[in-house]
Amino acid sequence: MIPREIKTLTLFGLFTAIILTAVSFYAVEDLPSFGDENSAVNKYIKLFGVDSGGLVDNLNAGVLPEEIKNKIEKMGFIHGPTCPGCQNENYPTIEGNYTIKRIEKGTWEGGRISEGGWNVFIREGELFYNDPNDPQEWYFIKDPVEGKLNVYRYNWPTRVIERTVNETAMINSVTSGLADYRGYDTMGEETVILTGAIGVILLVRRRGRL
Amino acid sequence: MTPKTREYKRDLIIEMTTNIMFPLTLLFGLYVMIGTSGTGGGFEGGTVLAAAFILYITVFGHEMGRKKMPESINALFKSLGLFLYNGAGWICVLFTLGAANWLNMPAFWPVTMFTGVAGARSFLVSYMVSAGIGLTVMAAFVSQYFDLAWKEEEEMGGDEE
Repeated sequence: MIPREIKTLTLFGLFTAIILTAVSFYAVEDLPSFGDENSAVNKYIKLFGVDSGGLVDNLNAGVLPEEIKNKIEKMGFIHGPTCPGCQNENYPTIEGNYTIKRIEKGTWEGGRISEGGWNVFIREGELFYNDPNDPQEWYFIKDPVEGKLNVYRYNWPTRVIERTVNETAMINSVTSGLADYRGYDTMGEETVILTGAIGVILLVRRRGRL
Repeated sequence: MTPKTREYKRDLIIEMTTNIMFPLTLLFGLYVMIGTSGTGGGFEGGTVLAAAFILYITVFGHEMGRKKMPESINALFKSLGLFLYNGAGWICVLFTLGAANWLNMPAFWPVTMFTGVAGARSFLVSYMVSAGIGLTVMAAFVSQYFDLAWKEEEEMGGDEE
């Protein structure tokens, strides 16, 4: 049966369905291939690319170019100093805050075979984890491809895989994430299960005695 | 369907299979729950343990299932799991006289004597927490199945007429 007039709600639902379908197609196209160990969810995510003209020599000499420093800071991952006298300074310009380590292609590094590039260690000023005595590698600059240097940022699982043994002395990195880093969360989940079971008992049980 | 109130159709194949499968499923559930060095953990292991009991209740009926898993023990398990989880954290606070935070165990002395500090931490977080989660999940599933399978005395012969 054909409806005589189109209701607003029906039209709205149709548009929502079309948009959701388009979004899901886009997501499927954008997903990395299964088992890709260098994909965004497994290792690092691409931030931007810069022209590599003359920058490779700088990187090999252990100096992070000003272009890359300023771009990383502009993206908001690095905050400025908070001490009262140094409001005008920026961490990227402080000497020795960045250190660069060359990784050859095909070497075993961080539990994976590296793609070849430079690891950027940051001593201070990062958004989440700051320890002046223990610089963390946060960024990865890949070897130039077609005249472009791509800058990547490592994600959380990489840190967990590399550091879970030292930090938690755990035999299994999944368990360390579930029960150690997120121990309070898991306790809450278990409390939710207990509360749900008590609720079902109160609703469904029809006996006077246990 | 209970053996007392109506003629209870016994099937030898199903009962023998269940008798063989029940302890094996429990063993597998324990392996998944405690064996945290491989895959698995408390939630999955508790579900497998509950599946063993649900299989037993389905085959042998409600009253035989009650003998395997009495209601008092079920209610005990349900809260014991949460107590194990929280107790693992509180024991560390108590034994260090408040120097350590909750679930941050530098000294858990009965275990530290044998395994060292790092081993004690690994033992507590991996095994005690997993066992606690597994017990709560198992007891919750089994209790819900008992509640749904139970019928009043006058409802017993209702579906055959």
